[in-house]
Amino acid sequence: MSKSIYELVNELPQKNLTVFALRSLDKVVPGEWENIVGFENTIRQVTGESDAALIEQIGARAIQLYNDKSEGYQRALWLYQTIDSTGRALGQAALAGKVTENVPFLSIVNRLTPKPEKAQTIDLCMKLVTEIVAFCKVNGIPGDSVGDFVKALGDYGGESLIRMAALVCFDGLVPLGPNFIKQTETVLGNLTPKDLDSNPAFKAIKDAVPGGKTGDQLTFIGASFESVKGWMGDFVESKGITPQSVVSNLKTFVDVADDKMDYFGAFLDISTNYYEHTGIQTLSRRLVERAVAEI
Amino acid sequence: MLRKVSIAIGALLLVGLLAVGGCQLTQLKASQPSDNARWEQIEEQTPAVDVDKDAVINGSAFNKFFPNANGYERVYTQEKDGFAEAKLKQDGNTLAMMSVSDTISNPSATNKYQNSERSLAGYPLAEVGKTATSLLVADRLQVKVLSRDDAFTATDREAWLEKFDLAGLAKLVN
Repeated sequence: MSKSIYELVNELPQKNLTVFALRSLDKVVPGEWENIVGFENTIRQVTGESDAALIEQIGARAIQLYNDKSEGYQRALWLYQTIDSTGRALGQAALAGKVTENVPFLSIVNRLTPKPEKAQTIDLCMKLVTEIVAFCKVNGIPGDSVGDFVKALGDYGGESLIRMAALVCFDGLVPLGPNFIKQTETVLGNLTPKDLDSNPAFKAIKDAVPGGKTGDQLTFIGASFESVKGWMGDFVESKGITPQSVVSNLKTFVDVADDKMDYFGAFLDISTNYYEHTGIQTLSRRLVERAVAEI
Repeated sequence: MLRKVSIAIGALLLVGLLAVGGCQLTQLKASQPSDNARWEQIEEQTPAVDVDKDAVINGSAFNKFFPNANGYERVYTQEKDGFAEAKLKQDGNTLAMMSVSDTISNPSATNKYQNSERSLAGYPLAEVGKTATSLLVADRLQVKVLSRDDAFTATDREAWLEKFDLAGLAKLVN
């Protein structure tokens, strides 16, 4: 059997590359994210309760809800994990034993290959689609309701907001540059179902993308991007974020050089799993919120 | 003298290595095997509830009976089978979570009302922990308000429970 929800939350790292990278975003969205790990700790933080018996009761209901496959929580986890795992195998090998404060980026740069722009753009869109579909699985709004998602984006906070900030910064600005929104629109406009079918990220989560046929799925992907691009643009502008500022915040723990920006995007791609990490945190928070209300 | 110094250096190195190793272990993973074992035991003691899913009222049916915001902000956050929840916010700050759940999905939730000495609007009331106050409507639907800000007291929770359309909710059952 796959891991239980308490194992997943108990085993979240307190310190690794993903956590360092997410912490570097604190300058962009100050105070939003705290790396909450541990199942019991999550229950305490989310509910504000401290009675041991009550915490166990809440935990028991959360476990029960998670274990019921028809509730959609396990599917959401699969999505968060799957979208992160494409391309990480290489990263794990290159970085084996190098989980230290100062990551020798330059020592592995020759093993990195920046993704072509088209593949990077599709990756960005697939992560966005993952967010929408997983949101609906967790919160129960039907899978194609992009409008509800956009409304909810306004209320995003904590680990969900940091995931979106990381998406904009690490999968948009750094690999694609300051015009990533316009660029993505252009690439999407010319994309064919065949292009999509040959993309590893799309292939990995194709079954979960609303639409059925690749052509309809492409329409869904386009609509998803269209609905969220305004929010992304405002986010970048209101926070005054540039590729340089993102990288400069990361410099405290990675020895990156400015002229290696595109390689750095590839580095983040293979060395972090921020979707899975924060996805587990979102999932457990929502489960606990529901469990405490239902007991 | 030289021997003493080398022993001291050796000891220091050893302590250093242990400290570094120990730190890495604790820092890299929050994994607590004993904690996993405890939850595993709880999981075994809490088998899945045998629910007739068709009998459960869908969360979407509850939404319209939630209190109107009136100067506050109401953001619906979850809508699942037998469950709907909304945040109560003011100036961007979350004050409370408001929810309705169908106890058919989790029958043990009704136990606490059996010996309840208090009622509100004619429905039995239960207060659990430091943050929760709830009512059982029509012996089946649990309406709950959970504080998410210290300033939002038990009195506030009761006031907001009364703002739900409780009679409307009861009609869903009867």
